Amino acid sequence: MPRSLGGREGSPFTGIGPVYMKELADHLSSVRMLVLTLFIIVFGAFPVASSLQQLRTTIGSDAYLFLRIFTIEPEQVPIPFVQALNFVIPLMAIGLGFDLVNSEFNRRTLSRVLSQPLYRDALLLGKFLAGLTTLAVALAALWLIVFGAGLLLLGLPPRGVEVARALGFLVVAVAYGGVWLAVAMFFSVVFRSTATSALSALGLWLFFFILWPLIAQAITRAFVPPEITSLDQYIGLQELALALQRLSPGTLFSEAVLALLNPETRTLGPMLPSQMRGAIMGAPLPLGQSLLLIWPQVTGLIAGMIVVFSASYVIFQREEVRA
Amino acid sequence: MRRLIALLALIATSAFAATQVVAATPPAPAATAATSTAKGLWLLTDYPSQTVRAGEVTNVHFKLQNMGLAPEPLALSLGDVPAGWKIDLMGSGQPVAAAMPTMNESVSLQLRVDVPKDAKPGSHVITIRAKGQNQAIELPVTLTIGEIAPAKLTIKSSLPALRGTPKSSFDYTLSVTNDSGKDLTVALAAQAPSNFQTTFTEGYGSNEISSLPIAAGASKDVKIKVTPPRDVKAGDYPVLVKASAESATAEQRVTLQISGQGKLALSTKDGRLSGDATVGKTSNYTLVVSNDGTAPLEDVEMSGTVPTNWKVEFNPKSIASLAAGDKKEVEAVVTPSDKAIAGDYVASFRAGGRGDSANADFRITVTTSTLWGIVGIGIIAVALLVLLGAVARFGRR
Repeated sequence: MPRSLGGREGSPFTGIGPVYMKELADHLSSVRMLVLTLFIIVFGAFPVASSLQQLRTTIGSDAYLFLRIFTIEPEQVPIPFVQALNFVIPLMAIGLGFDLVNSEFNRRTLSRVLSQPLYRDALLLGKFLAGLTTLAVALAALWLIVFGAGLLLLGLPPRGVEVARALGFLVVAVAYGGVWLAVAMFFSVVFRSTATSALSALGLWLFFFILWPLIAQAITRAFVPPEITSLDQYIGLQELALALQRLSPGTLFSEAVLALLNPETRTLGPMLPSQMRGAIMGAPLPLGQSLLLIWPQVTGLIAGMIVVFSASYVIFQREEVRA
Repeated sequence: MRRLIALLALIATSAFAATQVVAATPPAPAATAATSTAKGLWLLTDYPSQTVRAGEVTNVHFKLQNMGLAPEPLALSLGDVPAGWKIDLMGSGQPVAAAMPTMNESVSLQLRVDVPKDAKPGSHVITIRAKGQNQAIELPVTLTIGEIAPAKLTIKSSLPALRGTPKSSFDYTLSVTNDSGKDLTVALAAQAPSNFQTTFTEGYGSNEISSLPIAAGASKDVKIKVTPPRDVKAGDYPVLVKASAESATAEQRVTLQISGQGKLALSTKDGRLSGDATVGKTSNYTLVVSNDGTAPLEDVEMSGTVPTNWKVEFNPKSIASLAAGDKKEVEAVVTPSDKAIAGDYVASFRAGGRGDSANADFRITVTTSTLWGIVGIGIIAVALLVLLGAVARFGRR
């Protein structure tokens, strides 16, 4: 590719293909990937196995029996599958992404790669997409295992709408993983030391997972007036608490999954008694309405992923790469 | 002569006893008084001269009364039995040959008189005799062969015509009287138009009956309840009530005056009671109000119950008159509240006219608008634009 001193020539995405393929091959053949995949499958399979066992002994008709595999809380293991994923997906994404860029720095291979005819843009995007694809492959494998086990043990095929909802769940899970992958990559761009970047990413994850709900509660409590006089005031506080919680990607993920896998979910916010009047409880929403309900959450996840990626992009572009 | 004395003594005794009762004296002194006044043994009957029918069995009741005498067995016998007649002395339903009344008590007895078919008309005097060790008494009974008053029933209704709708029940009280000299078991029957149900109950009882015993000369109240079929046309319907016993029958005609009634039904054209609506937007559902009854309905008003903050209107709001068998379409305009949450809701529509009303529960699936979805896509587009801006600004080489 001819060089020019002025503006850019050619597409910034030239060379993204080889980078993507190489990274993907590295990921899929690495021992780390093997460990992570095992990790996620064991973590996912355990609750699924117990919930399937429970579903097999349950007698009763349920229009969304297949989706219950994902959502019911098994008796023996008090974690539903979805909650386990909420916990494990960030871990896997961080595991994949914490050394994406700084390991190249440390091995002094970055300048060698960048001497090839490709832009930095392509390198970063290729690395990110490869990580996302790896994540998607692992999640899809898990998803297929769950579906296959369900078919085998429940002995009945899922309905089309159930498959569609489960696929939607997979997409949301990948987007959730993408957010954490982008975060991990951001830290790998910011810090040269892989240990620092891994610690920072894990720290942020722990912050959102453990600390943030408490902080959100504390902030909400600060806004509580001495006396709650009206329903509107109460609803306002509830909504504030929810809005703070939703800053955490984990909340967005669990809300989106709740509405997708529990078709009876009508709203993710507080519901006024006046809105309940005349409502037929337990009636499932059509898929389109459920998608509309979770659309803000999905939007938040995807937009968050793009924004974090943009930030790491800007920092990476401004960094000096020496041979 | 002796018989005459016995009878006179009896009259005197009873008169004395009556005055004693009026004077409210306790019974014991009365008994002693009676004993002191009239001691003796009597054969008594209410009707010493009776009519019997050839070829039939008649019972003649009599009593053996002991007043102040020590009890002793008294042999009973009959004298002057006409040839061919079969007369048995019965006590407590059994043939007896002797009786022993205790002091101041009586024994009830009867003659079972079987008169042969070919018995000639005329009077026969039969003598009943009771013979003890110390005394013997007799009672002559005159039996005349002739016509006994035949069994006769009358049936009367105080309110022979009732008015109501097909939904009401028609209760008629009838009094059945047995005007004959015999106890009768009266069978009851009613002839009603087809599909009308009739049930008989006795007085205020609730049990259904088909026959009831009525003592001679007595009357009993019987209730007949007629239930017309629901889809009966307006008009007058007669019901013939029959009471029959042995050879006697009595009839009474009662009438049901049934006025027609409207019957509302509320549904949709294709019977589907569900529909879709969007939050904050009006939706129209076509309801069909029909009159399945037998009379026109006036002033049918439409109303509806919808979830809070929803609006419902009807077009037209009311129907002035709906003829029997007619149907009219009504447009229901429902606006879900702006703050409604997506999902299924129940709205109840009601049509009410004079005399009847109908309900229909309508299931409305509320969907939210896709506006926010578009906003979400816009937010993602903005994020991508930021990324593109970064690429344009910071792109190297």
